[in-house]
Amino acid sequence: MADILDILDIEQPTAEISRDSILHGDKVKKKYVTAKAVKRPEGMHREVFALLYNDNKDLPPLLPTDTGKAYKQTKAKLGMRKVRKWTWAPFTNPARKDNAVFHHWKRVSDEAKDYPFAQFNKQVTIPSYSESEYNQYLKSEDWSQAETDHLIDLCQRFDLRFIVIHDRWDRAAFRDRSVEDLKERYYGICATLSKVKTNPWSNTVTMVNGEKRIYHYDAEHEKKRKEQLRRLFDRTQEQIDEEQMLLTELKKIEARKRERERKTQDLQKLISRADSGNLPATTQVNNNNEGTSTPSNNASNIARRHDRKLHKKKLTAQQRPIRTVESVTVEWSGIKFPEARGTGVWLRSQRMKLPPGVGQRKTKAIEQELRLMNIDIAPTPTEAICKHFNELRSDLALALDLKNALASCEFELQALRHQYEALNPGKTLTIPPSICNSVADGESKPVGEIIDVVGSPSALNTTI
Amino acid sequence: MSGPNGMLYGGDEIGALVFDPGHHSLRVGYAQEDTPKADIPAVVGVGPATHVPEPEEKVPDGNVTQSGTKAGNELRHYIDVTELHVPRTGMEVHTYMKDGQVDNWDLFEKMLDYCYAKVIRSPSEHHPALFTEAVWTTRPAREKLAELLFEKYQAPAFFLVKSAVLAAFANGKSTALVVDAGASQTSAVPVIDGYALVNAAVRSPVGGDHLAAQAKHMLTNMHIQMLPIYSIQSKEVIRERERGRYTLKTLPAGLTHSWQQYMLRRQYEDFCHCVAQVSESPYEERQAAAAPMSHYEFPGGYHQDFGPERFKLTECLFEQTLGAPHLACAAAAGCDADARPALWGSVVACGGVANSPGWLDRLAKELAARAPSSHRLKSHAAPSPTERRFAAWIGGSILASIGSFQQMWISSQEYDEGGKGQLERKCP
Ligand SMILES: Nc1ncnc2c1ncn2[C@@H]1O[C@H](COP(=O)(O)OP(=O)(O)O)[C@@H](O)[C@H]1O
Ligand SMILES: [Mg+2]
Repeated sequence: MADILDILDIEQPTAEISRDSILHGDKVKKKYVTAKAVKRPEGMHREVFALLYNDNKDLPPLLPTDTGKAYKQTKAKLGMRKVRKWTWAPFTNPARKDNAVFHHWKRVSDEAKDYPFAQFNKQVTIPSYSESEYNQYLKSEDWSQAETDHLIDLCQRFDLRFIVIHDRWDRAAFRDRSVEDLKERYYGICATLSKVKTNPWSNTVTMVNGEKRIYHYDAEHEKKRKEQLRRLFDRTQEQIDEEQMLLTELKKIEARKRERERKTQDLQKLISRADSGNLPATTQVNNNNEGTSTPSNNASNIARRHDRKLHKKKLTAQQRPIRTVESVTVEWSGIKFPEARGTGVWLRSQRMKLPPGVGQRKTKAIEQELRLMNIDIAPTPTEAICKHFNELRSDLALALDLKNALASCEFELQALRHQYEALNPGKTLTIPPSICNSVADGESKPVGEIIDVVGSPSALNTTI
Repeated sequence: MSGPNGMLYGGDEIGALVFDPGHHSLRVGYAQEDTPKADIPAVVGVGPATHVPEPEEKVPDGNVTQSGTKAGNELRHYIDVTELHVPRTGMEVHTYMKDGQVDNWDLFEKMLDYCYAKVIRSPSEHHPALFTEAVWTTRPAREKLAELLFEKYQAPAFFLVKSAVLAAFANGKSTALVVDAGASQTSAVPVIDGYALVNAAVRSPVGGDHLAAQAKHMLTNMHIQMLPIYSIQSKEVIRERERGRYTLKTLPAGLTHSWQQYMLRRQYEDFCHCVAQVSESPYEERQAAAAPMSHYEFPGGYHQDFGPERFKLTECLFEQTLGAPHLACAAAAGCDADARPALWGSVVACGGVANSPGWLDRLAKELAARAPSSHRLKSHAAPSPTERRFAAWIGGSILASIGSFQQMWISSQEYDEGGKGQLERKCP
């Protein structure tokens, strides 16, 4: 015994075997173990500690050595109750009229009660009528009584699923009827009977504030609806494609129309601007402090320009079948110089600074023009020079815009001419020289004159 | 059946049996199980009983039912593969099915005898029986079946359901457009709220049998001989496309033509199952050539790879006016416009041929091209091949074990009182 304990490295009680040692053997052992036990350092995980300081500082065994009875021998105790018995027992189903007896498994302990699934036995209530009632109220030249009876019978059998009723309609005995015909007749019968009979049918009659509301079936409307539905479903793929094609074409046409309208508007604005612009531009700059109508106007203009740009992007994104004219964008023209701001002292040269709204390209173009005219880009800012210089630059900007607009219009004109000729082969479109020459002329004319030409309404109208 | 809180759940099993007689096989088993107990070829071998019985065979057991004829020479009936697939002198093979319904009632009785004796192994008077039927089953055939079950088999209760409805139930639908690609025909049946629309149902004679016939034709054209497997004693391993080297078995004399044809058809079917594949789009030589080949060894030992032929073979299943997509469209078009969106929204595919690889994808693709674009199209099929093939049986198994269905059975009392005339009313 002792050798085995040695081999298994089981600590022997050191004391001699005596009555006391047998009685308190456990206690002695326990004391021994606890005495050896090292306290787990603060913060060390229990598992790590267990690896380091097991009872006898041995390495943990390589093979599982757990041979206790823990898992194998003890019986699983699932549930503390006794097993309840099942029996193959006969039952009757109250939902059946024939009292047929079937068998199923049930618990012996379960008390006998009605077949639980019988509660799902639900039926639609269908109106019924006697022979005399039929003759009195329900006669119809379209429906014979036999046919009506057949309908009511099918309604009962298929719980008012009219599509199924229509499918199972006795076509050998009666003529084929549409689903709408069947529904119309059925709801007609319900309505008539609920007026004359005391017990209304829950599914077609509702009581609202104590008065009867009878469901009215609108067969005509239903027929129309179904016809439309049928047509929608019966479209062939070609028809669908064609419709799709037409819709996209319509969208394109509308987009082009909108574009044209917008261009017209822009030009119109340009004209009115040029008409009135020559004067106000100067007066504005001159009478800064008067602060006439323009700021709000200006703001809205900018807003619109922005809006237009967005729009333009959208348009170019769409693909077009026919080569279309490059859209002409006419930027707002002239420069509005800011009014003297705030109080205090300020440099007059500040007044000559182009406002931030004027873009880089425009600034460059204006400077180019000034150089051509041999004018200093930054002249000495006396009061008069300031005024005239600003005025000049505003006019220059307007002139540049107009020139751009004109070029675009010219381009569009040519493009349209090509398109016209392409579509009508053999024909040529002669453009009156009054329209098309202007660019070539304008190129050589001094700036002042262009403004004049554009400024006259008659000349502008012909370019539109 | 009912939970602790008085809630009802699950079904109620009353020991009902479900029979799904098809052209290819008859499936039979207990309701509430997930697969049939047996899948028996839908043919009966009839041979003379004078044939020498094997020594260890003492009493004819249930597999081999005996029936006497007036002339005194007994006839024996051989049912199921273990009995049927044995070469026997003078054994003719007959099918009892015709046009989707039972036609030869004497043979069908033999089949039912076999089912009760060898598959169910329990007396027929203990089990309510639920049968599936095709939508176009005629009234006499339905009534005959009811009569047989009640009068011969003393069934306590009986019910008939259209197989399309059951296939829809098996896929968890009560409204569906069921496309069933079976052995003798492919059909499309609209089901609304658990009722099949009989007048909108369409079918075509293209099915698994047609495919097998096509395979036979193709192999003949390729000069590949399909030797009957039962005639081969042994064969040698040979290289691909080499002539087969085999020795023949000595067979009993007087094997009937019908039995040989039946056995060969099984082999062609096997060839189809292994080799045939449906291409995703209509057959195209180049595309088919790019697909991986499939190897097949014939009973004589000859073996080779099949490439484009695999796809060419199945094109017959998708012929313009006979294929499943066309049938589905025709069936949907035959329905009321109000029902169509729901039908297109759940197209259920089932039947053995639906297991051909690629068949479902091709159906879905062709339907997407054909269905009106205004409908949401969704096709369903059970994930596993057996569930697809047994869809109608599984639906029957589900239905017969639902508690609220137990009121629907035609009981023997009802039959005694009302006769078979009530069948039309009770089983719509
Ligand atoms: N994995 C498969 N691949 C191709 N065809 C199959 C497969 N499994 C079965 N079939 C074919 O399906 C047909 C049987 O389908 P099934 O729906 O059981 O017919 P039925 O209901 O008429 O008995 C057979 O022609 C068989 O060849
Ligand atoms: Mg089938």
